[in-house]
Amino acid sequence: MGVDAAAAAALARLVRLELGGGGAGDEALKLIEDFGKIVGYMDILEQADVAGVEPLYSPMIEPLPPRADEPREPGEPSAAESLLAEAPERVGRFFAVPKIL
Amino acid sequence: MTELWRLTLVEAGQGLRKKEFSALELVEACLERLKATEPLVDACLTVLEEPARRRAAELDAAGWDPQKPLWGLPLTLKDVFCLSGAPTTAGSRILEGWKPPYEATVVKRLKQAGAIIVAKTNCDEFAMGSSTEFSAFKPTKNPWNLQRVPGGSSGGAAASVAARQTPGAFGTDTGGSIRQPAALCGCVGLKPTYGRVSRYGIVAYGSSFDQAGPLARSAADCALLLAATAGPDGLDSTASLHPVDDYVGAAEKKPGELTLGLPRELWEGDFAPETGQTLDEAKRRLTAAGVKLKELSLPSLRFSVAAYYVLASAEASTNLARYDGVRYGRRAPGPEDLRDLYVRSRTEGLGPEVRRRILLGTFVLSSGYYDAYFRKAAQVRRLIQQDWQAALQRCDLLLAPVSSVQAWPLGAFIDDPLTTYQLDMMTLPLNLAGGPGLSLPAGLGADGLPVGVQLLGRAFDEAALLAAGRTLERLLPPVGEPPLAA
Repeated sequence: MGVDAAAAAALARLVRLELGGGGAGDEALKLIEDFGKIVGYMDILEQADVAGVEPLYSPMIEPLPPRADEPREPGEPSAAESLLAEAPERVGRFFAVPKIL
Repeated sequence: MTELWRLTLVEAGQGLRKKEFSALELVEACLERLKATEPLVDACLTVLEEPARRRAAELDAAGWDPQKPLWGLPLTLKDVFCLSGAPTTAGSRILEGWKPPYEATVVKRLKQAGAIIVAKTNCDEFAMGSSTEFSAFKPTKNPWNLQRVPGGSSGGAAASVAARQTPGAFGTDTGGSIRQPAALCGCVGLKPTYGRVSRYGIVAYGSSFDQAGPLARSAADCALLLAATAGPDGLDSTASLHPVDDYVGAAEKKPGELTLGLPRELWEGDFAPETGQTLDEAKRRLTAAGVKLKELSLPSLRFSVAAYYVLASAEASTNLARYDGVRYGRRAPGPEDLRDLYVRSRTEGLGPEVRRRILLGTFVLSSGYYDAYFRKAAQVRRLIQQDWQAALQRCDLLLAPVSSVQAWPLGAFIDDPLTTYQLDMMTLPLNLAGGPGLSLPAGLGADGLPVGVQLLGRAFDEAALLAAGRTLERLLPPVGEPPLAA
């Protein structure tokens, strides 16, 4: 199946992207065209006989027991500060974003 | 004496132990080689010149240490590994300038083993690509022909090792990103079993596929690097508790004792003429040496490309939701409101291939398409794993080509995403199945470009894989050094 411009725009809204990089319309058209080809190719999956086959979401063969729930040493006092130091914008101890309400 | 930058990891390790040269002398030689070749190949994003020198001097002052199997050995890291105090971009503008406040487990273990990190290497943005042309910063060039791609996404790592900038590198392989650039650049690359090496501190792309592993110039060198990094990690719940074998000392079989299965689905495709000829010659040499080659069929492999791009894109769309311009990374200037902040930070910060995969992943996960694509692809993945396990019961290891073509001209497929996805056909099945694979040079084509083959093994049996790799290295023609005018 293909994906038309309206469906592509709806997807872009969901993932907080502008189609075509926000640039010229041609780039958006090319993206939609490529997208259609790729999704069309994925349709080969219809030919696979998977009746009764359990999906495999991780290739791990062995079970992974959880580690012991033990308290760990807290991070260095500077850990929070070093995280906040990478914020594009901060106010005191908080990450700052434009006003919401 | 041979120039120090020409030594393999094993050779350099022996020289350091015997005090034939110091760690600093080795690092200086590599830095000098890096500076001479980097303007040609563009393999690195950050060169850690002074930290590398300091570390080498510290090691020299403390003296050679038998507890540190990588003592004094210079390495590079693909720019998806968090290294404290150094930028980690994953090849993306959205992470430009970000310095992670923590370190990947692989990096910690390499450092504890005595390695010296010399540079961080270029890659396709968030490891999504097969040519390193999707790096937001620059394309890397293939040392064998500077007009051609090095493969990808660990193209910087492979080009750097091939150009002899350092004897070894760490990369990641989600759909072939270690094995394919290793093949296109004439190196050896190991994708360990999923869960063999911790993913903690590695920028995530497809979390059920991503696996870190070494690139170097021999299977023995890869064994050394795997031994230093494999094993459980309390910081990664998918790092397996499976015992770590002796990769370095694993016993080799004689060629006559080795049965390799040839998956028909991976050998019967259309090969570029030079690639096909080199692969035929490789098979002829193996047979002549007594290796038994046995054709097998893994019928589900024909769905690999579709299943992989559905599942990996779905995981990518989830993993990359975190890049929103709020907590770290790039934020678009002057946002009107929160939504505008998200949309513009992401649209301006993420490149076209990454945006494409986020859209694709969201599509296959969306209501109405989930069953037809995502769930179906996961069912096909189980078939592929079952085929894989069944095939490996009939032979010691599988042998397959790595790519149907050699390094292609820069820009050749940049506007044709589906064709580049299809070029990954030979590497993707391993990531879907979860096992380990080792890419080895099979020789040079008549066009002077390297061709690779891969050995594919049972989960967690990297020891057998690496031992067979050492055998094959002796039987296949060596590719030598790229004719890089430096």
